[in-house]
Order: sequence, then C-alpha cells, then structure tokens
Amino acid sequence: MASFSQYVVKETTTNLWRNRVTTVAAIFTVMVSLFLVGGSLILGQGASNAEIKWQQGTLVTVWMAPSATTQEIDAIRSQLNSFTYVHDCYYQTQAQDYEEAKHLLTPTELSVLKPELLPSSHRCVPNQPQDARLVIEKFSGQPGVQIVTAPTQALKNQQRTIAIAQWSVLVIASVLLVSSAVLILNTIRMAIFARKREVAVMKLVGATNWFIRVPFIFEGLIQGLIGSLMAGGLLWAGEWFWHARAANWAPDTLGSQMLLSSWQLIWCELIVIFLGMVIGSIGSAIAIRRFLDV
Amino acid sequence: MIKLDHVTKTYKNGTIALDDVSLEIEKGEFVFLVGSSGSGKTTFLRLLLREELPDRGTIWEAGRDIVNLPKWRVPYLRRNLGCVFQDFRLLQNKTVFENVAFALEVIGRPKSVIESQVPQVLDLVGLSHKRDNLPTELSGGEQQRVAIARAFVNRPLILLADEPTGNLDPKISEGIMSLLDRINKTGTTVVMATHDKALVDRMRLRVIELDRGQLIRDQQRGVYGIEADAGAPR
Repeated sequence: MASFSQYVVKETTTNLWRNRVTTVAAIFTVMVSLFLVGGSLILGQGASNAEIKWQQGTLVTVWMAPSATTQEIDAIRSQLNSFTYVHDCYYQTQAQDYEEAKHLLTPTELSVLKPELLPSSHRCVPNQPQDARLVIEKFSGQPGVQIVTAPTQALKNQQRTIAIAQWSVLVIASVLLVSSAVLILNTIRMAIFARKREVAVMKLVGATNWFIRVPFIFEGLIQGLIGSLMAGGLLWAGEWFWHARAANWAPDTLGSQMLLSSWQLIWCELIVIFLGMVIGSIGSAIAIRRFLDV
Repeated sequence: MIKLDHVTKTYKNGTIALDDVSLEIEKGEFVFLVGSSGSGKTTFLRLLLREELPDRGTIWEAGRDIVNLPKWRVPYLRRNLGCVFQDFRLLQNKTVFENVAFALEVIGRPKSVIESQVPQVLDLVGLSHKRDNLPTELSGGEQQRVAIARAFVNRPLILLADEPTGNLDPKISEGIMSLLDRINKTGTTVVMATHDKALVDRMRLRVIELDRGQLIRDQQRGVYGIEADAGAPR
C-alpha cells in the first residue's frame, strides 16, 4: 500500500510538472470561475441576511390626516394596541414628524412646511413581517387615517436586484466552470499521450486498470483543488476587506446588513473547494474514459 | 499449459488472421512460431496475451479459459505472462534497474521484493554492471536483454517473444537465444515468433508454422522450412 501511495505521488507530480503550462492555465481558470461562484454564493447569503434584518425592522406607519381629531387618533391607537398582529406601537406627534422632516428635506422645502400641515403617525412593529399587509388592510380608510404604509415594495425591488446580479454571476461562473473542466480534461489528455508507451508497458506486465488510472485522476483532482483553494483565499480576502470597510458604515446600510458571519463564510468556502474537486474529477474522468484505453 | 481449440480470428477488414487453429503446448516447452509476414503469428501471440479475442474457439492458459475471462481479471492473467518484442519497448527516461523494477512496481510488489529480485534477474541477463544506464546508452542486444529481464522478473509461467532477434545481428541473436533457452530451462514455457532461419535450424526445437492463418505444420525438432524427411505433422 505504501509503495502504491509513493507511486501515485511520484507519477502525479511528474505529470503535473511535465504539463506545467497547461496545468497553471487550468488552475487559474478554476480559480477565476470558482471565485465568481463563491462571489455569487456570498451575494446570495448576504441578500438573505439583509432581508432578515429588513424584515425584523419592518415598520408599518398609520399616517393620520392633519385634520384628524384627538378622538380619532385615540380610537386608532386603542384598535392598534388590541390588534392581534401588532407587536408594539408608538405615537409620533405632528411636531415630532416635523423634526424628522428637518433631516430629510432641503431648507427651501422646509420653509413652506408647517408642523400643522404634517400628518401625525402611529409607528407599529408587526408580529411577523408578513403581518404588515393585514395592518394595511385593516386600518386603510378608517376615520382620520390618511394612508397606511410599509416598505414592502422597496424590499421586493432590492431582492429582485440582488437576484438578477446573483444569477448573472452564476451564468458567467457556469460557463467558466465548464471551461475549467475542459482545460483539466486537456491537461490529462496530454499526460495520457505523453505516457502512452508507459501505459502500454503497464498493461503488458499486468497493472490493474485502477492502478493505471489513479495518477491521472489525482492530477485532475489536484488541479481542481489548488484552483479552488486559491479562489477560497481570494474570497476570504474579499470578505475580510468588506468587513474592514463596513466598520465605518452605518448599521442600516445595505453593505452592513449583507455582511456574512464566520460560519456562513466557511460554508461558502467549503462549497467552493468541493466544487473545485468535482470539476477536477469530472475533467479527468472524461479524459480517462475517452483517451486512456484501459 | 497452452491449448487452442478451433480458434478463428477475422479482423474487421475481412482479413482472416487465424483459421480454425487447434494445438497444445506443454509446460516447459520451447516453441518456434514461423511463417511469412501476415501469416498470423502476431495475432496468435496477441490472443495469448488477451489483447484480442477470437471470433470462435476457446483458448486455455495454465488451465484457465482466457476467452471467457472477465475483463477485470486480464491484468492478473498477464502477471503470469512475460512479453518480449522486436522494438524492446523500454522506457527511455528510466534506467535499466528502473525499467525492470517497473514491472514489479506496477503490480504492487513491495520495495524489499524489488530490491532483491531485480539484481538477480539483471545478473541472469548479464547486465548488473549497467543497472544505472539509460536504454539510449545500451546496444540493441543489451536493450533486448533488459526487455527479457523485465519480462522474466516476475517469474512468469509463459514467455511470449515476438521476433525478439528481428533487429539484431546474428551474433547478438545467438546470445539472446541462449538467454531465452536458459529461461526455458527454469521451467518457463517459451513461445517465440521468428523469421530467423539460422536460429530455428540450429536449435532443432518444436516448430509451428502458420500460413494465411492456417496451421500448416507442427513439428517436433523442426527446422524453419519444410524438410522432406522432417516427419509428418503432429
């Protein structure tokens, strides 16, 4: 067994060195394609993280008409407090809304705005993000209510944008993954041709088919593995850079909300490494099947 | 040791390589296989190696039906066969020792066995002093000796030689022949395809002659060509 392992190590390294130019090309293509695959995974996971944070912070706002009476405001408050789907509510007066508007509007816009023209509002957190829709349905059109809003559309838009980006990256990555497999196949084919005479002798003296195949399989596997480890390293560096930059960002920015936990990053890296090994094995398996006559 | 029973082999282009050949070779025999080019000698050896399968008939080697042998068992069959070719088929990037050791290495023999058996067989073929030379540094005769050492290092039951002296001058051929004779004396059955008339005539061993795939002569203590007084076919 020890001599077989030594033989496999020796033959695999010899083959890799013999075809070093194509080997390097294959490794770099695997690296680029798996970097894109990993990027897409990270993007998807980040979008999911941001969505959870967005949903956790979903706020339904029941805007009261500026002309709403105190009775109408109180009636809505008491209904909201007793409504099963609402977790918590607080009331923001017209003056408080005006203060908030000061941060959002330009001085010119603010100059025409008076606190009494602004609606006061009940700001409510639903039990579940999807309960926002029930709050909107229940309170829209009630006496004194001007409009009920929740940021569901913005959330949907954001999700759609991220999904499009994710799929685009995945399509490019898939094309590159196929190219990497073909490049690996080509290096194995060259190795098989370079060792044709040797393989013929091996067959004559009674080497088993697996004994002949294993060094070629390992060659592809190692190319895929090295490419995937390099892609993993790049992804880790990218994520580290992102974390370092995000330290200066506000917590509610998309970049901060999309940050991955260590475990999520490890999972993405493991998937990338696994894919690299799969590509390497597929490339060598096809080459062995087509070009190695054993 | 070897038995062919009504063996026929036709190639896809319609060439009949062997036509209803039946014969038996006993353990420890030395057999010359003669005939003009295209007579079927190489196909005969390829069938014994299980590199080809016959269209009809059965072949037994060491009591085993090799025609119906599962494909995965073929390597194990070949471990009992040694092969020598006209073009030596040595690996040019390996030394004499490594070429011979390669035959044991690829069938998973431990290093200790390789270290003990390779020097023995190199001694047998008279190349101990050239163990670290590359094939390109050897003469044709020496290269063929390395090829024989590689074929014999695993102590096969049968040694198949396809025109092993075809590329060598008569004097060197004598040396190769005497080496094969010594290997035969150890109990190994030797089947040698050859065009070397002088060699066959001098050795006076069993001669099997093929012509366009047909067995036309099987003669004990025969010569290369048909002799009037050589006796009837077996």
